[in-house]
Amino acid sequence: MRRWSSLSLSVALAAALAPRSALAQPLPAEPHPPNDPTDAPPPAGATPPKVKTSAEPQYPPGRLSDEHHHHDPLPELDVEIEVTIDETGKVIGAKVLASGGADFDAEAIEAAKAFTFEPATEKGKPVRSRFHLPFHFEPPPHAEPEVVEVVGKRPPPTRGAGDYRIDVGNLAIVPRKSAAELLKLAPSVFLLKDGGGEGHADRVYLRGFDAREGQDIEFTVGGVPMNDAGNYHGNGYADLNFIIPELVTRLRVLEGPFDPRQGNFAVAGSADYELGLDRRGLTAKATYGSFNTARLLMLWGPDGQSPRTFAGAEIFRSDGFGENRESWRARAMGQFEGRLGNDASFRISAGGYATQYESAGLLRQSDVDAGKVDFFGTSDANQGGSAARFHLSADFEVKTGETTYGLQAFGVYRSLSLRENFTGSLLDEQLPRQELHGQRGDLLDLQTTAGTFGLRGYGRHSFEVLGLKQDLELGMFARGDLVSALQQRVGADTDDPYLTEADLDSKLADLGLYADAAVRFTKWLTLRGGVRVDLFAYDVQDNCAVTDVSRPSEDDPPGDASCLSQQRFGDHREPNQHSTTASIRPLPRVSLLLGPFAGFSFSAAYGQGVRSVDPSYVTQSVATPFAAIDAGEVGVSYAKSFELATLGVQSVFFATHVDRDQIFSETEGRATLAEGTTRAGWAGSVRSTGDFFDLSASVTLVQSRFDDTGLLVPYVPDVVVRHDGALFHDLFPIAGSPVSGKLGIGASFVGERALPYGQRSDVIFGLDAAVSMAWRFLELELAGTNLLNLEQKQAEFNYVSDFDATNPATLVPARHFAASQPIGVFGSISGTLGGDR
Amino acid sequence: MRRSFLASLVLALAGCGSTGGELLEFDAYAAGPEGRTAGEPYTFVTDRGYEVTLTTAKLHIGAVYLNQSVPTSVSSDTSCYLAGQYVAEIAGGADVDLLDPGLQPLSARGFGTTERAKTAEIWLSGGDIDADVDPTVIARVEGVATRGAETFPFDATITIGENRALEPSDPAQPGARPICKQRIVSPIEIDLRPEAGGSLVVRVDPAGWFDNVSFDELEQVDDSPPLYRFRDDSLDQPSRNLFNGLRANSGVYELEWVP
Repeated sequence: MRRWSSLSLSVALAAALAPRSALAQPLPAEPHPPNDPTDAPPPAGATPPKVKTSAEPQYPPGRLSDEHHHHDPLPELDVEIEVTIDETGKVIGAKVLASGGADFDAEAIEAAKAFTFEPATEKGKPVRSRFHLPFHFEPPPHAEPEVVEVVGKRPPPTRGAGDYRIDVGNLAIVPRKSAAELLKLAPSVFLLKDGGGEGHADRVYLRGFDAREGQDIEFTVGGVPMNDAGNYHGNGYADLNFIIPELVTRLRVLEGPFDPRQGNFAVAGSADYELGLDRRGLTAKATYGSFNTARLLMLWGPDGQSPRTFAGAEIFRSDGFGENRESWRARAMGQFEGRLGNDASFRISAGGYATQYESAGLLRQSDVDAGKVDFFGTSDANQGGSAARFHLSADFEVKTGETTYGLQAFGVYRSLSLRENFTGSLLDEQLPRQELHGQRGDLLDLQTTAGTFGLRGYGRHSFEVLGLKQDLELGMFARGDLVSALQQRVGADTDDPYLTEADLDSKLADLGLYADAAVRFTKWLTLRGGVRVDLFAYDVQDNCAVTDVSRPSEDDPPGDASCLSQQRFGDHREPNQHSTTASIRPLPRVSLLLGPFAGFSFSAAYGQGVRSVDPSYVTQSVATPFAAIDAGEVGVSYAKSFELATLGVQSVFFATHVDRDQIFSETEGRATLAEGTTRAGWAGSVRSTGDFFDLSASVTLVQSRFDDTGLLVPYVPDVVVRHDGALFHDLFPIAGSPVSGKLGIGASFVGERALPYGQRSDVIFGLDAAVSMAWRFLELELAGTNLLNLEQKQAEFNYVSDFDATNPATLVPARHFAASQPIGVFGSISGTLGGDR
Repeated sequence: MRRSFLASLVLALAGCGSTGGELLEFDAYAAGPEGRTAGEPYTFVTDRGYEVTLTTAKLHIGAVYLNQSVPTSVSSDTSCYLAGQYVAEIAGGADVDLLDPGLQPLSARGFGTTERAKTAEIWLSGGDIDADVDPTVIARVEGVATRGAETFPFDATITIGENRALEPSDPAQPGARPICKQRIVSPIEIDLRPEAGGSLVVRVDPAGWFDNVSFDELEQVDDSPPLYRFRDDSLDQPSRNLFNGLRANSGVYELEWVP
């Protein structure tokens, strides 16, 4: 985000700087109602505070980034902020008296906090006081923007109605177990835990895609890639659990591959988390609640720094809501944002995360019905896992004339260990060369480690043609991954590995170049798009390429070893196989944007996307296979600021085709390639913010079908409905300081999901809520999840398993499920030292 | 107008379509050969010319499975399970009186899909198919076999455990003959498609067990009255052939879907 003085923001600073004593007054002994500014003169012997240094708010960058608005009437409005000034003249509190909408309010508050004052006095002594700051926002004149201050990064321009820019804002009060659940603020998104455990990546559904653990969504955090390329469990596995939710300020969820900046895994779309911390000072928060859950959180927002400079750390543990669900977690994140002169900014961010957890896995419905296992029990208590992630990123952005250059470098190390048993005791095939054995259990033990390093950069140039601003951006993305994966089966009785299913060492490269242009034909018609070209290169060492030999050596039989060094009557060969391959994929993407007309904007978009495959599918000198995606949408959006509220509405019809979908294989314990699929649907969303409320709701209807048979793609819900709402207001004063209250409610409805063999899952309904009260530096919060205490199944599957080896095997598909959490209640207390409290 | 369109869209999408196939539950029965009177001895002539009259013929069925695939060749695959997809199962059996043509319910309900089944398996076990020891009596027969002037009153009690374990023929392939394979009758050729409301009937004709049995090679265990007894192992020809007949995948077991 940039501060554009001419953009601006003609802040009514003159009002603030000029004698405006009527707007300021020392705090009275008897507190006034917080929102009751008075024009009465200050008491005798009192002097009002005086402005020492001022600050200008920026016009909300999210509005400016919507560049097709440049020639159209962006709102011109006023926001009034009341600041509380302490005895030293420092602003210690700020609240909105007259709102202009959440984004305008946030910018105004940020500017207000940057003011410094000569303190008010009473009888010659400095006292606390309040001061009203009116800010006037004007959209910037388009022709010659003048940069006066550079902070943050400029967000990429919109691609249409399905390009959702989401300020978390006051909706942060809605209970969420993880940062992944913030995705629910975007329509079409539905998440669940499928029994993998607390530290397992969430299963994500988006626009009719069962994106599993993120394989079909390109996830980034501040531009740092989150998807694990080459992950054997699922290529593109994205574990968002390392993100501290309180540090997420905004998301961009682009549903569909419509932006040339989107790269690998942007099948259903992409999601970028923007981190920040509005609350300055040092905050400590302790939470305790159901299931012996305890959490300690520390957040630090250094005074005088931007909200994008912060640090946070957390330690968490829980017994979990049933058998074998204990978990431990620690994570830390930090970022520093600085300026280099007036034209450049940079950010350095780092994070660390480690977790260990047990998981209940999936249960057979018939076992639960028969009383063999409890609804919240487990069929294999050896399931669980661990994960770690460490990353470092630095980015730099500078504007030179009409051109902006940006460069980001990042490095990520991560490890993942998964122990999952989907099928019980079914898959341990007796091979002739093996000693006789029965079923030793199907517990999968997957261990992966990966190192990622990469760069992304761009140059964006603006120029005028026919009196209209045109843009051209050229960019690059380069990413390398060193990945090792070992998947074994572990004996249920011995806990020893008895079979190696995969042992891969891979070097992956993904290099992408893109060009993105905005061509404005008229003030109301913009064609935006370009092309991206990605090259995927694989160098795979399969350390267990030979797993069977039909005629082994009679003198030296291989026995029970998994990775064999024999072929053809015992001829020696090493068990490994080396393969290299590469291929290129051009990806055109274009959006047509019309409007706005009286607040309505119309858009149509088409794009192609790509998803690479995991290294197990690579064959020497055969072009790297990948999934190709074609997507299109048409939509309309409406944005309007009213006196009491802002309103944003989107309606999008969409269709996406992928030529190689991924379907979860219970026998392999991972996502495997399947036939082509097509999905089509509609998504509608609305969000309205005002002085005391922030409400968001969305509905998605979609169907996904296989191309060859026309049958439904399993596990994808037809209907997803989501509501997030927050109410907030000052309630009453204590000792001259207001007690502010918040109420947050989140509700989800997920319709029946198609399951294999013509089955349908149960619907899911969740209701979560939280209330909080804050006074000065203290805040108390009470949160409840699944408040209706519905006994629900989260994930449901139909497949073959056998968890009782002593009886005749069960070999036909049966219903399995992962239990949803029962009601949970969690209390928190937090305190903030310094900052604006 | 817009509301009605949205309502139509909801109706069109919600609950519409299918992933194909269907899961179903069904009853399953076993029975002796048709056309007979329950409780009466069962007389038949074997391929070797013996007229056999059974006065007792009982079979313990452990489980029944239907598979949509037909194995294409005999391979070194030693898995107890067929490669194809199983479409139905009755994971619990019963002691079946094979002299009774009436339908005798198996102990478990059947579960399956509506996929077409091409092969069947009969599991002859008391539980764990891989267990080294299983004392369950799988088959019990009593009767008389005659050929010309020769008469052989006989009985047999068959279990499948260590007594049926086979030594590997190739020391490089110690796992080539797992005990589970001794307990499974497979593949039994069928062609049926389970449908909701129907039931599965397994008819077992014990006559086929004796096709290759030479009663004159049986060991006489009693003189008065004379009694010949099959061994509960595979160490002599008649006992081995009776056991092989028990596991014959044609001519013994017939499966029928009754709507």
